[in-house]
Amino acid sequence: MVSKKIVIVGSFGVGKTSLIRRFVEDQFSEDYKVTIGVHIMKKQLNLNDNDVNLIIWDTEGTDDIEEVRPAYLLGTHGFIYVADISRPKTFSKVDEHLNFLQNKYQKTPILKVGNKSDLIPKGMMAEKKDEFDFLDILVSAKEGNNVQRMFERITKMMLT
Amino acid sequence: MNTDEKLELLKSLLLTDEREYAQSISVKISKLEETLRERAKLSEKVSPIIQDELLEFTERIPQELGPIITETLKTQIAESKDQVVEALYPIMGQMIKKYIAQEIKILSERIEQTTQDVFSVQTIKRKIKSMFTGVKEEELIISDLAEAELEQVFIIEKGSGILLGSYQIKATLDEDMISGMLTAIKAFVEDAFKTSTRNLQSIEYDLYEIHLHSFHQYYIASAISGTFTENLQNKLEDHNLKVSQNINKNKLISKREELQQFLIKQYSQFELGN
Repeated sequence: MVSKKIVIVGSFGVGKTSLIRRFVEDQFSEDYKVTIGVHIMKKQLNLNDNDVNLIIWDTEGTDDIEEVRPAYLLGTHGFIYVADISRPKTFSKVDEHLNFLQNKYQKTPILKVGNKSDLIPKGMMAEKKDEFDFLDILVSAKEGNNVQRMFERITKMMLT
Repeated sequence: MNTDEKLELLKSLLLTDEREYAQSISVKISKLEETLRERAKLSEKVSPIIQDELLEFTERIPQELGPIITETLKTQIAESKDQVVEALYPIMGQMIKKYIAQEIKILSERIEQTTQDVFSVQTIKRKIKSMFTGVKEEELIISDLAEAELEQVFIIEKGSGILLGSYQIKATLDEDMISGMLTAIKAFVEDAFKTSTRNLQSIEYDLYEIHLHSFHQYYIASAISGTFTENLQNKLEDHNLKVSQNINKNKLISKREELQQFLIKQYSQFELGN
């Protein structure tokens, strides 16, 4: 079975840990606990009859991606960049951050994710479409929407 | 009807309501007095209220009194360190004494068991060793009992922390998570001390020592229990070097199954303590 390292990055409180918990344990908690250093979890995923062992590195939130310890990013097979769609500040530097990752880890795929889609009223989604156009997928760790699909997408990107 | 009787009649006509009212108040006051005098009746009325209040108070204690108590305790401990030590010393002393006694008991049982096997190959070997080296047989027994044992070996890809292969004598927690966390700790230490050219070499954990041996693409993490001397460290490093040469020569890094079989073969036959 092939093993792949995924690193989740993004600002404080965007829901990185919650997304991993939803995917690995199918749980969600409203209690906010700050991640210090790095936390590692794993889950096996079956994609097109291939078993993939996903080793997910949950990094501490930072507004400046260059502050993430480079050693944690080494050997990454795929990045998930998480923004909180209810707080524009968390995606105000998205271009800068993506440029940094693309320059440093050239062949590593990056999936841009907008979390907390549950906070946007359903009728407003169409209105906000252009605003969130830079994101690859909108998810909700709280309600579980698209979380499984998000990990499947990054796995697909890593395998191709 | 005289004037007094007329006046009385007028009074009764005018003040009947007030009198009834005063009488009802008087009855109520009597009842209240009775309730206050008789414990059982008073308790019947007051107990539910006190109970509710107490319950609410108990629920509020952690929030309201918790920080004050913690702060008071901290101040008290800081101001009376000697008294705290004096109070804790007998308890800690007893615990340590009990632990040491238990460990000595286990050790003596193992020594007894070892000495009873008089004709075993191991005993004969030890007797010969004692004769030639001049080291007392009892000392050799104790040394054997604290012998270092290689419990687990992980071959971990540098950077990603992905487990490439492993060998272990007993089942452990999730190997992938251990590999990841070891790599994160290693990366953190090397990053924090800005030692790009130096590597973290070992991590001590309770009675275990995790020895880390870095190579170009991967590192070998070996978990050892017992007394891990410098001689044994050299022996392990030589063995790991040999294992690494074979891994590279046969390009086993990309062949997970073969690497796994190779590691089992290499490390199951390897005796660290002898």
